[in-house]
Amino acid sequence: MSKSDTIQFSQPEENTLGVVVGNARRAVQSTARRFSRAASAHRASLGTAFLGLGAVIVVGLRAVYGLIWFASQWEVYPEPFAALAAWIVLAAVLIGAIVMSRVSGDRLPDWMFGLFLAGLAIAFALDVIAIWQLHDIGGHATAALTAGMALLVLVALRGRVEILAAAAVLGVALIAVIFLDAPVDAFADADWVATQVTAIAGSVLPPIIGVVIIESFRRMVQVELDRVLVQSTVSAPRFAVGMLASEELARLDLAAEELLDAVAQQKTKLPLTPKNASVAAQLATELRLHLIEGRRETWLYHAISESEQLGKSVTLSDKSSLAGLLDPTQRDGLLSAAWLLVADVPSAANPRRRGTARTLSIQIGPVVPGAGTVPAHKIAVPITVTSTGVPRNRVDSGVWDAIGRIGRYSDSTQDASLRVDIECIVDNPADQ
Amino acid sequence: MDLISKERDRLLQRSARVYGLSFTAVSALCFALPGAVPFPVLLLGIPLYLILAAALVAVGLSRSIWWPVIALLSGLGIVVVTAILVGTPSPSASLAILHITAAGLASLALVLTSSVPRIVLLVVGALAGVVVVAAAEIDSPAQALRSGGTVLVGWGLAALVTVWINAGVPQVAKRIASIGRAHRAERQASELEAQRRQGARLLHDTVLASLTLLAHSGVGVKPEALRQQAAEDARLLRQLRLGTAPQLAEPTETGTIPVVNPEEPVLGTTLESVKQRFGRMGLTVAWHGTGQVLLPSDVLDAFLMALAECLENVRRHSGVTEAHVTITDDDKMVRALVTDAGVGFNIDDIDEAKLGFAESVVGRLREVGGNARLFSAPGSGTTVALEVPRG
Repeated sequence: MSKSDTIQFSQPEENTLGVVVGNARRAVQSTARRFSRAASAHRASLGTAFLGLGAVIVVGLRAVYGLIWFASQWEVYPEPFAALAAWIVLAAVLIGAIVMSRVSGDRLPDWMFGLFLAGLAIAFALDVIAIWQLHDIGGHATAALTAGMALLVLVALRGRVEILAAAAVLGVALIAVIFLDAPVDAFADADWVATQVTAIAGSVLPPIIGVVIIESFRRMVQVELDRVLVQSTVSAPRFAVGMLASEELARLDLAAEELLDAVAQQKTKLPLTPKNASVAAQLATELRLHLIEGRRETWLYHAISESEQLGKSVTLSDKSSLAGLLDPTQRDGLLSAAWLLVADVPSAANPRRRGTARTLSIQIGPVVPGAGTVPAHKIAVPITVTSTGVPRNRVDSGVWDAIGRIGRYSDSTQDASLRVDIECIVDNPADQ
Repeated sequence: MDLISKERDRLLQRSARVYGLSFTAVSALCFALPGAVPFPVLLLGIPLYLILAAALVAVGLSRSIWWPVIALLSGLGIVVVTAILVGTPSPSASLAILHITAAGLASLALVLTSSVPRIVLLVVGALAGVVVVAAAEIDSPAQALRSGGTVLVGWGLAALVTVWINAGVPQVAKRIASIGRAHRAERQASELEAQRRQGARLLHDTVLASLTLLAHSGVGVKPEALRQQAAEDARLLRQLRLGTAPQLAEPTETGTIPVVNPEEPVLGTTLESVKQRFGRMGLTVAWHGTGQVLLPSDVLDAFLMALAECLENVRRHSGVTEAHVTITDDDKMVRALVTDAGVGFNIDDIDEAKLGFAESVVGRLREVGGNARLFSAPGSGTTVALEVPRG
């Protein structure tokens, strides 16, 4: 059998009915990630261009300061023209980078990044040559120190690792030339050492701080985007198939279409090989499952499984699908409370705090008939939210506002976990 | 306060912490160099550095305004202690002082723009920094001017960065909100799409029947018939995918099974397509009785499915290649008798569930208010009576 005769059918990790093939958590998450990846190329750059512009301004100010410093030292330089050349190279590289970043948008191409770094290296070398005989690199270098700051121009256009690595290389180079150029007894002189330390810090720290700010900004954008995308579930019907299931059904339909088409066009020989036959059987099973039972999940299930952040830290137990009964205000309250309670969950960007992971479990139901006083045509749905990793006094005040929108609540703390019992009054589905 | 503002504050707090701590470390290094400051100053300075570092760490975690205040006091304290005890600071002590005031403390500007008291603290902090540094360098007016200026520039720069980030957040929030709106529309569309696909039950049933045949490698069915069936199903799926509702095609040519029905579709045309489908798979179906019955689409769906299921059973189990379907109707009900002259079976011997009868036939019909009964005996064929209400 030739290879092209085999029908391709990609195995789903999760069939979106909650019936999960393999490791449930991982499967749900990877599906959610696959789903969110489509937009992620766009995501990463949201708003960072504006921050990049700010960085350009800061670099510009620093360059002007460096130039003034350079001009004032003209008489002192043993090789003033080398320093001048360094500044010309640096200016050319900076202007080139700024123009290209405006033109090319989100990301600087690799070769241009290489050119930029090469330019910085040349400027650095020329400046060091200019002042080598003064034996005080930290005190007299100008273009070489501005080169560190210049990395900020690219902070929004290249990955953090690349910027940090470039800053590290620059720092090491600076230390190396300072050592090589140092007078014999210089290291005993506190003033000389302090000047060198200041020079190194002034050129290496700004790009590092820039990376920290940009990374935090990107994270903020991710979290907000994640939240806003999931927020649309608030207006979903009581039972919904969810975006993943709909996508999945479309995918299965397409797979079936291709398979049947291949048979019809005689691309696949009849009778089918056992392998192809099993593909057909599997497809039929998947399709059947989706058609029969695809609509048992509520908005909350979809919200949690579609969100990268909630999916990681929230467990939902809602056997009777009661979450579907909540009205949009109550849903918004529940979702907001969940967000505020897990917002500090460690992410890939911040793995150090993995130890204090916050988890949240939401238990909805069961409905106890006759409990409490309930208006006519309404039922009371008990919701229990249990959160670990958040001390009671560090719970954001917004959480209580949000929970207040769901219904009357009482809270208790036990073993560092916070438990909130909410009585949520909803329309009785039997009356509808 | 909305989530993005909280996230923004957290971002500024974290940035202030990294910014402040790194320059505080550099300052401490300059301060602690042998000979930079006399020993007593070092002794007083080190605890103040520790307090400053602790306060900066806390700034990264807490929104309380007291942490910036403590950081400011301890940082300025270092400068004051040095100035009072040393007189004219050595160049390295000067640098230590500058690192603290123009960068380490200036980083606090990141968290001091969100309210009036905070802005006041920012201005006070910057001015106090300038004054204290200038006072420390008072012996050399030129140096005092330069240092004071540097402190002012440092605070100004940090404030600029803060204002810039604060200006960027609403922009990005607006864009995210518009993405969110687009996503909501997409969700509704996908929900509709899923409903449309799930609603196309009849189509999916025939697709599933074809897939099941293929799953058995198509054994027992003529390849030509199976191919024709597959082509038909693929065409319907393509129509579903492209968004045009699969239409009632001319029954004689293609034998299409209607998927999205008009209000009261004609039974006859669709019966014809069922007949053709089974014809291709080697079972001749003979129709008797009414050909023109109007039924609501959900009832028709269930009726045809049940009928097709019965015919499938005949094809698989009866051992004959011909089946008879008799359709009768009155004011209330439409009935169909599916009979074959095949091997038959003893009803008591065979579990109904095994034939898929209970689920696929009786279940479907009951959903729409109908029913089904099964009659058979070994050697004398099988009869199934189906009935559905006229709606």
